[in-house]
Amino acid sequence: MSKRLSQVSLSLVGGANHRDVSDSELARGLAAGEAWALGVTWHRFAPMVLAMARRALGSRSDAEDLAQEVFLNVFCKAKALREPEKLRSFVYSCAIFGLKSELRRRKLRAWLLFLAPEALVDLDCRSTDVEARDLLRRFYALLDRLSQRDRLVFSLKELEAMTIEEIAEIMGISESTVKRSLTHALARLSRWIDADAGLSEVFDTRRWQR
Amino acid sequence: MSRPDDDPPDSRALNSLTKLARDTVPRPTAAELDRGLNLLFARVAAKAARRAKVVRWSLAGVCATICTLLVVQIAAVWRERVPEPTALAYRVEGGSVLAGGYLRDSGNAGIRLFFNEGTKVEFKPGARGRLRSVDKEGTRVVLDQGSASFDVARSKERRWLVEAGPFSVAVKGTFFTVSWDPQSESFELRLQHGSVVVSGPMPGGDIELRAGQRLLVDLPKQQTLITEEQAAAPATSFAPPSSANTGSVSSAPAPVDAPTPAKDAPGTSPSSTVATASSSSKLERKSSWADHLANGRWDRILEEVEQKGLDATLESAPSEDLFALADAARYRRRTDMARAALLAQRRRFPGSSRSVDAAFLLGRVEEARDRARAISWYDAYLERAATGTYSAEAWGRKMVLTNELKGRLSARPIAEEYLRRFPNGSYARAARALTSDP
Repeated sequence: MSKRLSQVSLSLVGGANHRDVSDSELARGLAAGEAWALGVTWHRFAPMVLAMARRALGSRSDAEDLAQEVFLNVFCKAKALREPEKLRSFVYSCAIFGLKSELRRRKLRAWLLFLAPEALVDLDCRSTDVEARDLLRRFYALLDRLSQRDRLVFSLKELEAMTIEEIAEIMGISESTVKRSLTHALARLSRWIDADAGLSEVFDTRRWQR
Repeated sequence: MSRPDDDPPDSRALNSLTKLARDTVPRPTAAELDRGLNLLFARVAAKAARRAKVVRWSLAGVCATICTLLVVQIAAVWRERVPEPTALAYRVEGGSVLAGGYLRDSGNAGIRLFFNEGTKVEFKPGARGRLRSVDKEGTRVVLDQGSASFDVARSKERRWLVEAGPFSVAVKGTFFTVSWDPQSESFELRLQHGSVVVSGPMPGGDIELRAGQRLLVDLPKQQTLITEEQAAAPATSFAPPSSANTGSVSSAPAPVDAPTPAKDAPGTSPSSTVATASSSSKLERKSSWADHLANGRWDRILEEVEQKGLDATLESAPSEDLFALADAARYRRRTDMARAALLAQRRRFPGSSRSVDAAFLLGRVEEARDRARAISWYDAYLERAATGTYSAEAWGRKMVLTNELKGRLSARPIAEEYLRRFPNGSYARAARALTSDP
């Protein structure tokens, strides 16, 4: 049970006994390098991180890569966690940090290639019809045009339904900055949607009724 | 969903797209989570392995660095501990070492030097010479006149150099006898075994002699003769050092490179002396011209003088170089230049021992031009150095010149004085002839 991190084999760990441990105990388990803590942390927070990354990035594969990086980061830095009860916030912070890095990397890649990469929406939404996929591709293409911070604030507010206060805390910025970024993002997105004849037509004709 | 106050008026399309994006993303399945966790474990294990590898390599690097430093340190310590060539020590029998390294015999049996490295040197009766330098690099012995035998022990570290008049003999493990007669300016070297290189004013430059060869050089006749002789066994004339003759110990060698007048340094050692030369002490400062002189490169000295100008050289050259220039000029029969150099030596360094020697050499130079003046130079020398290196030679030459200029009656007192002082000297026969004839 008290297997050390360096001795972990490639098998699932974390039995039912640990499923219900509190965040504090879990954080302490991580800090002690307990192998069970890795599995429990993953199962407790990975769905949230994966979903948030998928919605923010519009890519399932990028989201999985990001989740791996986020949890590796969490495991490495767990010893430095001063308040174990804030493990959830810590994981969120790591996820936001990872998202920022990924969005910055995308911007840099686009700038280096002089051409914005085509938005490839890969959300594993098998049930979504072709028209919805096309709308999502256009939507993420517009998100790619936003700045890194505006996009992140928009995603957390509109896609993750977080409050202004939560976003400010998790991103480490002031609430007014969050509001300003959100207003800016909404205004620009609305303007870009109006300017996109294809998108406007879909919603003006009320063809899109969901 | 709350909107800020400055929410754009038409956001229906945006709301619809946001809702579509939010609702489209499914929750990750259990299989996806398990796959992700397995992947995560693999990455954790890989990272741990990578870290262990880095730690191992870092440790290996640190160990290698430490080992390298240790090796370097050990090598440095070892190098410091490797004994440098030990300082040469020697014992003198049958004479003593005066200040300046001059050898003075105490009887008529010659002087024998026994070096701790195994080298043996014997100055035959009547021979005069000096130890110019004795240090860890080797020894320089000067034979002023007479004959001396050298049985030099082989050594890679040390270099033996024997100077006889204008000749120098580079030695590496050999046995030979060298003779130099300053009156007739004839040089002779008999090589029993080993090999030597002789430098001097000879046509063709340096001569390398093999065992059994004999070299004869007559400078006035400009003759150089090499003959083959039967190689002989090393001489056995070196009597084992007698403890009874072992005298006091002097811890430092005589420190002066030029002859010191006896009245300046009259203190003579006991008849047998042990002297050591530490590696740091050198009996003589080497100048390039002194080296040229020692190696028989007379012309090179003269060329350098001509390039620089004689007057400038006479005014600026150090004492040692002036002396070397005088010797080189004498050996090349440039008597005017030799005279000028010697006069400059006396004018610029009047208190030095070389200035005293210069008086004798000026006498030698003047003999061909003005014998009376030569006698006055010998007198000047003898006045300052009655028992100096060249005193026997000065008395002898003065006797000969006085006989030539003023007759036997005038020369007889000088001959008597010579015989009293140097009964076995090279002019003893001539002196006896002068004193015995009516």
